Amino acid sequence: MERREALKALAILTGGAVLVPSCNFLKEDILMAYKNLQVTPTLQKLVEAVADTIIPAGTIKGAADIQVQDFILVMVNDCMEPEDQKNFMRGLSGFNDYSKEVADKSFERLSPEERAAVVEAGLAIKNDSEEKVPANEDDDEKAERENRKAVPEFLKITKRFTIQGFMMSQYIMTEIKPYQMIPGKYQGAVLVSDVKKEIIHG
Amino acid sequence: MANLNIDAVKERTFQAIVIGSGMSGSWAAKELCEHGVKTLVLERGRDVKHLKDYPTTNMLPYEFEHRGTIPTEVQKENPIVSRCYAFREDAAHFFVKDKEHPYVQEKPFDWIRGYQVGGKSLLWARQVQRWSDFDFEGPARDGFAVDWPIRYKDIAPWYSHVEKFAGVSGNKDGLPNLPDGEFLPGFELNIVEQYFQEQLKKNYGNSRHMILARCAHITGNLEYYQQQGRAQCQGRNLCQRGCPFGGYFSANSSTLPWAEKTGNMTLRTHAIVHSIIYDEAKEKAVGVRIIDANTKQMEEYFADVIFLNAAALNTNLILMNSTSNRFPTGLGNDSGLLGKYVAFHNYRAGISAEYEGHLDYTTQGGRPTSGYFPRFRNLHKQETDFLRGYAAGFSAGRYASADQDGIGMTLKENLLNPSKLSNWMVGSHMMGETIPKESNYVALSKEEKDQWGMPLLSVHIDYDDNDEKMIKDYQEQMTEMFEKAGFKNIKTRDDHRVPGLDIHEMGGVRMGRDPKTSLLNKNHQLHACKNVYITDGASMTSTSTQNPSLTYMAFAARAAHHAMGNELKA
Repeated sequence: MERREALKALAILTGGAVLVPSCNFLKEDILMAYKNLQVTPTLQKLVEAVADTIIPAGTIKGAADIQVQDFILVMVNDCMEPEDQKNFMRGLSGFNDYSKEVADKSFERLSPEERAAVVEAGLAIKNDSEEKVPANEDDDEKAERENRKAVPEFLKITKRFTIQGFMMSQYIMTEIKPYQMIPGKYQGAVLVSDVKKEIIHG
Repeated sequence: MANLNIDAVKERTFQAIVIGSGMSGSWAAKELCEHGVKTLVLERGRDVKHLKDYPTTNMLPYEFEHRGTIPTEVQKENPIVSRCYAFREDAAHFFVKDKEHPYVQEKPFDWIRGYQVGGKSLLWARQVQRWSDFDFEGPARDGFAVDWPIRYKDIAPWYSHVEKFAGVSGNKDGLPNLPDGEFLPGFELNIVEQYFQEQLKKNYGNSRHMILARCAHITGNLEYYQQQGRAQCQGRNLCQRGCPFGGYFSANSSTLPWAEKTGNMTLRTHAIVHSIIYDEAKEKAVGVRIIDANTKQMEEYFADVIFLNAAALNTNLILMNSTSNRFPTGLGNDSGLLGKYVAFHNYRAGISAEYEGHLDYTTQGGRPTSGYFPRFRNLHKQETDFLRGYAAGFSAGRYASADQDGIGMTLKENLLNPSKLSNWMVGSHMMGETIPKESNYVALSKEEKDQWGMPLLSVHIDYDDNDEKMIKDYQEQMTEMFEKAGFKNIKTRDDHRVPGLDIHEMGGVRMGRDPKTSLLNKNHQLHACKNVYITDGASMTSTSTQNPSLTYMAFAARAAHHAMGNELKA
């Protein structure tokens, strides 16, 4: 137990880079930090690319610059119900297929503008409540269909944790909008027009 | 060998033993030690030293792996404590986990506990409103429970005593039902809270009030509190982590170090109290039997006076487990009422609304308190179809939020520059008095024991019709007051929480005048075993509506002085 916890801590410190061999030699190793998910380094890269599309670098850093993908995976792994974790992983696994379907290329091969269009389209998908299940569907086809169906859910979860991970990051809370642990004396009637507002350019 | 044994007994003998180091126990210890009484404090959990043992106190939001959220697995293992609002990543280490300390729920009851030095005084909401005779006379006037054997005049000087030392911020409001005390400067009510205050005056004359809630935070007299090593509250609102300034009262920051400084306190941690030892020949209690939490070995300690302050339900458990030929069903239980007439505060209902006035104003800074409605229902006479009434919290605030639509640079800039300032969001939650009943009780499980061999506590506590009517009345009355104040989008709620989550369980060892119908006398002594004092929630004859900790503290200080003038005098 202690060894596992230590490994997990190390895995998180190193951005999940501790790998455990998967059982199948043809498959990629699994990132050990996220024991409830079966995340490969390739899928981790994909989460990173999606997060960075949601909050890109500009005047200030973007999601990938501060490894928001690690936070996303920690939150999905630790703070979500198994059913939601499954949906996240299905959608993540099906996301490149979705990208090919709407933009003819896997996500990594798209330009930033194309990536944004794919993520926006994916977020806007409304799944039919009455889904048509093809007759004679084999296991692979079934998995593919379910993965495709989970794409919007994957994107919604990723967006939510990208926002939280970015805004509650050390970078934002120290360098961009310093967090005040001591908020100052309570004042119960401050004119809104007197509240100092500094525009931060992204 | 014989000599060794005598030495061992001598080493284990004190003038007083205090069971429990939390809100009330630490006050008994402080008073006793300060006046030269050699005191042993028994605590079932680990030590938590002020400053040193607050691991999260200065952590920044991004230093919490899950940014405050308790992981799903932990929540599933601990469904009970996970329902407590303060069980978050920054304070989880101060809460009892469900599995480690099981109990039997004959009826659903969320028992929230803090097993460590300081107990729940680290975690409390720090609201300290005095009782008045409207509360102490309640049972006699309305014909429930038994008459309290004390009145406001008996406890008033002790309220002053503890308020001064603990540090209480508030305003002198001049209300007979919520007496003023020794107050440090109050925090500010904001512009909409003040507006609501005026509306109440306009709409209800002098019969309903909303005031600044008094809270145990230091806001002045700083040199005095420096003697305790405590400083001014900084409004961080991170109290549940333990305060690096000692800005709010906790046993850890205040009473315990004070007691320790006298050199008269011995603190024994990891000491699970098994029972109080009763000597049939001497006709009094002579000591306490403990089980070491780690070694599981039993040990005995001896003293002239025992203070039992283990927190309401555990105090019941210890008494029930302290059996002898003289007291076969538990120490002091001649009346047969030990464990019965347990009550709590009804926190089920709340209300929220919006206010579209004063939109040119907002608030800034931090404040550890809010507004408070003292009870107005059935105050001077019975006026509804239910007994007693409720107090309520009240607060107003505006919240900045960002447009989270879309993705990309637009989203990023929106997040960094939150432009939406909400209307004033106003809200209140109810704190209802519940009526103690014989059918609401705790007992020892006959079969089940914990890992130390202690019988599990079996809890049988529920709401009744009076509570349901009170919820309805709270919702109706608050809605009316909100409507009259021009608040919009009014929504009432009843979260149907089970008893316990209020963390105000009380009774089972109630005070009273008659040994046939109560267990404790007016001095907090067991009628049938006078050198045992109980001043925690177990002693409560009725619950009234005020947050009870201040009253426990005052009881403990008062009882300690009674013991020093009587049982400890010889």
